[in-house]
Amino acid sequence: MKYLFLVFENIRRNLIRTILTGLGTMVMVLVVTLVFTVLTSLDKSTTEKQKNLKAIVTEKWQIPSMMPYSYAQALSEGGADPGDPDAARPDDSMSWGFFVGSTEENPAKRSFENLFFAFIMEPEKARTMLDEVDALSDEEALPLTAAIQKMKDVPNGVIIGQERLDKMKKRVGDRITVFGRNYRDMNLELEIVGTFPKEPARYADSSVISRDYFNRQLDAYQRSHNNQPHPMAEKTLGLVWLRLSDRKAFNKVSEQILKSPSFTSPAVKIETSSTGIGAFLEAWRDIIWAMRWLMTPACMLVLSLVISNAISISVRERQLEFAVMKVLGFHPNQILLLVLIEALLVGVLSGLLSAALTYGLVNGIWGGLPFRIAFFPKFAVPIDALWWGAAMGAATAFVGSFYPAWQARSVKVSDVFARVT
Amino acid sequence: MTDSAKCVDVRNVHKSFRRGSEVVDVLNGLNLTVNEGEFVGLMGPSGSGKTTLLNLIAGLDRPTEGEVFVRGEMISSMTESQLASWRTRSIGFVFQFYNLLPVLTAFRNVELPLLLLPLSAAERKKQVLTALDIVGLSERLHHRPGQLSGGQQQRVGIARAIVTDPSLIVADEPTGALDSKSADEILDLLGELRKSLHKTIIIVTHDPRAAARADREIHLDKGQLVTAQ
Repeated sequence: MKYLFLVFENIRRNLIRTILTGLGTMVMVLVVTLVFTVLTSLDKSTTEKQKNLKAIVTEKWQIPSMMPYSYAQALSEGGADPGDPDAARPDDSMSWGFFVGSTEENPAKRSFENLFFAFIMEPEKARTMLDEVDALSDEEALPLTAAIQKMKDVPNGVIIGQERLDKMKKRVGDRITVFGRNYRDMNLELEIVGTFPKEPARYADSSVISRDYFNRQLDAYQRSHNNQPHPMAEKTLGLVWLRLSDRKAFNKVSEQILKSPSFTSPAVKIETSSTGIGAFLEAWRDIIWAMRWLMTPACMLVLSLVISNAISISVRERQLEFAVMKVLGFHPNQILLLVLIEALLVGVLSGLLSAALTYGLVNGIWGGLPFRIAFFPKFAVPIDALWWGAAMGAATAFVGSFYPAWQARSVKVSDVFARVT
Repeated sequence: MTDSAKCVDVRNVHKSFRRGSEVVDVLNGLNLTVNEGEFVGLMGPSGSGKTTLLNLIAGLDRPTEGEVFVRGEMISSMTESQLASWRTRSIGFVFQFYNLLPVLTAFRNVELPLLLLPLSAAERKKQVLTALDIVGLSERLHHRPGQLSGGQQQRVGIARAIVTDPSLIVADEPTGALDSKSADEILDLLGELRKSLHKTIIIVTHDPRAAARADREIHLDKGQLVTAQ
């Protein structure tokens, strides 16, 4: 501790250089933090759980999956025979259909700004089954719970993510007309009853409409079209989510569903949500690989070089001082440590500051990192980023400063003074 | 003369340096004894080996051959780590260009060697204030080197050299960068240290006036003692 003043004074010695080194570190830590944010979120989604796991049932041979809604009830029971009390049944379930449309009637004017994407589902399942929403406390989920409650009184209610709402320039209570794109000629008159919570940010662009309401709209379509059902009427079920207590229950439910004659036309498959998401992310495999194995190491390398350069210059300028310190009795390893601590302090503080600013700005102001990949519209910077930032700064500072610190340690006193005199 | 009266005992020391493929002999079988409390001036032309000899006595370099004893300890066989600890306790070094750390105040510069000793902050402060008082710079504690004159900087350098209370002070051209008035003040101060604190002082100098202050002048030429007055 008694040496710390030496470290601080040396950091203050050339403040401009220290600040520039710190800024360089901050920029690199920012980039790596953002990359890690995406990668860890994806890793989390694709990590197999052993308990309280979720399974996805989808059409076996077709992407996107489009099953008849008549599958929904039996699938939500895990394909269990109603008369078999020993059959395995899911703890909870949720069915998803997808409605894609636009709030703009004129197809020529349709854009990302007026895009509308909704899960067709049982609204109350948004609280208990949606990934990450199911982990929120009651207090955190309060706005969503209130909106779900309101949908019981407002059948054509819609819950819309705050960001999408902002893009549409609408507020809770407004009415919107949505013109269907995957359900052609189906226009929905919706009333906005609430929004998703800010966290998790992945639903900031999504919406939820009621399955019952949507089915009534399909019926209405049929009535108004000479009793002809909508061409998509038998394909409204995209997937069914099942919550299962453990792997054993998953295996049993898998067996029930795959053996059931009820799900043969079209055939279905069942997989854990992590496997399903992993398979879905296959399309982004190369970009994810490049982010993980090219971009991150490149940033770390550049960061190490930035620090190495700054510390090398500083060590070269201070050779005489290191020689003097040796004359006074400082051990070579003490000099090595002093230089390393200087670099580590700059690295750790810059890394921590960068990560804290990234966390605050991305989560607090942007509402998440808008990096669209698969069905993840946004990624929230995890709180772990704070220690990542500090650790990254420390690791790169250590790597970058070790050689210059070793040079400082190896200063030969007689050589330095021979040069001076 | 008994060994206990000897402060420095240099025995048959050779020192050579390698310059590319060439080996340059700087000291050739040099013998020298400096007694406790003695003030010795080392003189000689450039390249005669004065500074090399001083570095060997101060434990900053090792002889190629021969032995160097300081107060009975054979420093020529110590490891680098042992030498570092030994220098903290036993040697005060005064440089020609002061070599104070520019980012530190006079107080902090003088405190620097004390950081290496097991002393509390209060003990360090007491010793630093005493050393700065001895050199007459009690009023300049919080000045950085850039805010001090050359003479004042050298005084801080001397305070740093005596703060650990070493028995031997070595000085390499301590007046070489000073005007004559400041040089006289520094020489007075060194003389006073020797007289009142009984320090053994060895200075390397080109300045005959500085050498004249010493008890004994030693002249080197081509790595050998030529005269001792």
